[in-house]
Amino acid sequence: MDYRKCAQDIYDKLGGRENLVSAAHCATRLRLVTVDNSKIDLKGLEDTEGVKGVFQSNGQLQLIIGTGTVNKVYDEFLSISGMTAATKDEVKAAAAAKQNILQRMVKALGDVFVPILPAIVASGLLMGILEGLSNAIPGLTESGTYTIFHMFSNAAFVFLPILVAVSAARVFGGNIFLGAVMGMIMIHSDLVNAWNVASMTAAGQTIPTADVWFGLFDIQLTGYQGHVIPVIIAVWLMCQIEKWLHKHVPEMIDLFVTPLTTVCVTGYLTLTIFGPIFSTLETWVLNGVQVLITIPFGIGAALMGIVYPLTVVCGIHHMYNVIEAGMLSSGLNTWMPIASAANFAQGAACLAVALKTRNRKFKSLALPSALSGFLGITEPAIFGVNLRFVTPLIAGMVGAAAGSVVAYIFGIGATAYGVTGLFGFLTTTGYTVPYLIELVVTFVVAFAVCWVLYREKEEETEQEPKEAQPEQPAVTCVPGVVYAPLSGTVIPMEEIPDPTFAAGVLGMGCGIVPDGSEVVAPFDGTISTAAGTGHAIGISSPDGMELLIHVGIDTVSLDGKGFQLLCAEGDTVKAGQTLMRFDPDVITKAGLSTTTAVMVTNAEDYETVQLVKTGAVRPLEQLLEAKVQCPV
Amino acid sequence: MKQFTYVITDPVGIHARPAGLLVRTAKAYESEILFEKDGKSAGATKLMALMGLGVRCGDTVTVTVTGSDEEKASAGIEQFLKDNL
Repeated sequence: MDYRKCAQDIYDKLGGRENLVSAAHCATRLRLVTVDNSKIDLKGLEDTEGVKGVFQSNGQLQLIIGTGTVNKVYDEFLSISGMTAATKDEVKAAAAAKQNILQRMVKALGDVFVPILPAIVASGLLMGILEGLSNAIPGLTESGTYTIFHMFSNAAFVFLPILVAVSAARVFGGNIFLGAVMGMIMIHSDLVNAWNVASMTAAGQTIPTADVWFGLFDIQLTGYQGHVIPVIIAVWLMCQIEKWLHKHVPEMIDLFVTPLTTVCVTGYLTLTIFGPIFSTLETWVLNGVQVLITIPFGIGAALMGIVYPLTVVCGIHHMYNVIEAGMLSSGLNTWMPIASAANFAQGAACLAVALKTRNRKFKSLALPSALSGFLGITEPAIFGVNLRFVTPLIAGMVGAAAGSVVAYIFGIGATAYGVTGLFGFLTTTGYTVPYLIELVVTFVVAFAVCWVLYREKEEETEQEPKEAQPEQPAVTCVPGVVYAPLSGTVIPMEEIPDPTFAAGVLGMGCGIVPDGSEVVAPFDGTISTAAGTGHAIGISSPDGMELLIHVGIDTVSLDGKGFQLLCAEGDTVKAGQTLMRFDPDVITKAGLSTTTAVMVTNAEDYETVQLVKTGAVRPLEQLLEAKVQCPV
Repeated sequence: MKQFTYVITDPVGIHARPAGLLVRTAKAYESEILFEKDGKSAGATKLMALMGLGVRCGDTVTVTVTGSDEEKASAGIEQFLKDNL
């Protein structure tokens, strides 16, 4: 078959280039969107060699061409119609998006960590506050309330591997519950708590071991409390195994075989291979840093300040307690000022990002992370912000080095361990002024370096155009994507308090419990229905999606009271344009629910209609994604 | 072809919920079912179009059924209208 001739024949019957809006193809069909369907020579298309069928559906002109040939005809069609430019640019953009392995790893780390930040920030702040208070108020640790809150403060850290594992499983595309199981295995209560290993060894207690690989070697039965990297590696491996098995195991026995095999293989490999490798590395690092800080003239301290955040990234920092305990037994703890500078510097760098970024979402993430860093808990700042952009991390390292040198010069020492940052004043009472100078130097250096070096990347500012520039509602609409028409909380369709909507009778979609009073267009399109009672709007997109926005349940009974329509049937609207205002009070006073249904009413034209947003949503965030059905 | 008229008695007319149920009912039949009001018409399987008719209480709709199972479909739709609208 002559693909070029076929494409040319098709092109000739479409009414010219200006009548073409877009072209796409699936496994069998060429899918065209045209301006005016009446200009198309349908009869001629049906007679075209290579075209096996022609029909129009959801505003699309679909030409059945066949598997394996449609893509070739499509390519020729693009070159003939001159629609190539856009596609090539897309390819270019995609190529630019390709990053090297290290960048991708750092990004994956950030993607894993950001969703769990609320948990870490809550725990981190509480932990910092409690540790500070317990040093300020003697005897506080005896109180029952303190014990309870102390438990709250470390829960997220004690079980951190589970949080990380769940999040990582989601990022790497595995089953999140299997991910959770991996996390649980790694901190199982039958394993010795990693936080206790150092002190147990110091006290001469033996760590229980188990022989593995048929007695080939022994491993220490220690947990992974406080660890991040080994958990992410384990879950990544798990996801690869799980996906491979899903592909190769017959569906009938998939549920028996896949989860079982995945858990067994990953769990065993993790505990017997990664575990020992990791604990060996840990010991090396621990020995290394102990040598490092003995380098004179403050050089050792400066180097340690630089290395410190990296060891936090690896989750080794919990081993430092043993160094500090050792120092305290023979004098003052000179390790603490270094750790404090390192933590404080990350907080300062994070604060610089928070103040400099124009992305509101990022600002709201960076601010509490920075605060937590000042109190000595740096995981939120490091994983959530600094590591993602690298520059702040480095700025923090520089600040830490400067602060560590100050600490060395003054010979600052602490009388306890575990507390750093602002609360560190409580354990350095003999060095209040020097400690203050140290923190100020640390802060100024880290903040300044980060402020100068940190450049906002385009993608970070443009990720949420609506948020960055609330006055310009323009979004680039991707076909098949429904952008949120109002702000509120997303609930799954099944939870809409109305059986008709919940059962999917009106299509597929979701509900939004609104916290505003305005409905905006969820994509560029045409108003197909604007109910006389003003409570429901139907809108159709150029690519054929039909969407119903039904504000409130049973609100038809209000007969328009509390609703103000700002559009009329047949109007062409742009995404973000206000379509309707409503008064939530009128709805609630009438005893009705304000839950708004957002439904793709022609869901049968799509293979799937997926909810891509949960929880709080702001107007024009991506809400639903519909994938085109493509029968072979 | 079968045709009948029906006067809507539901106080709020063909709004989202009954329209959804009507679409579901109409889809069960092979025949093409057309609703007409004041010169505007809509396929009974098209939710948006149905709602777009703006049918209110007291309005008269003309239903036209064409196809292999038109007898059954016509009766089914009429029954649905009586039960729901």
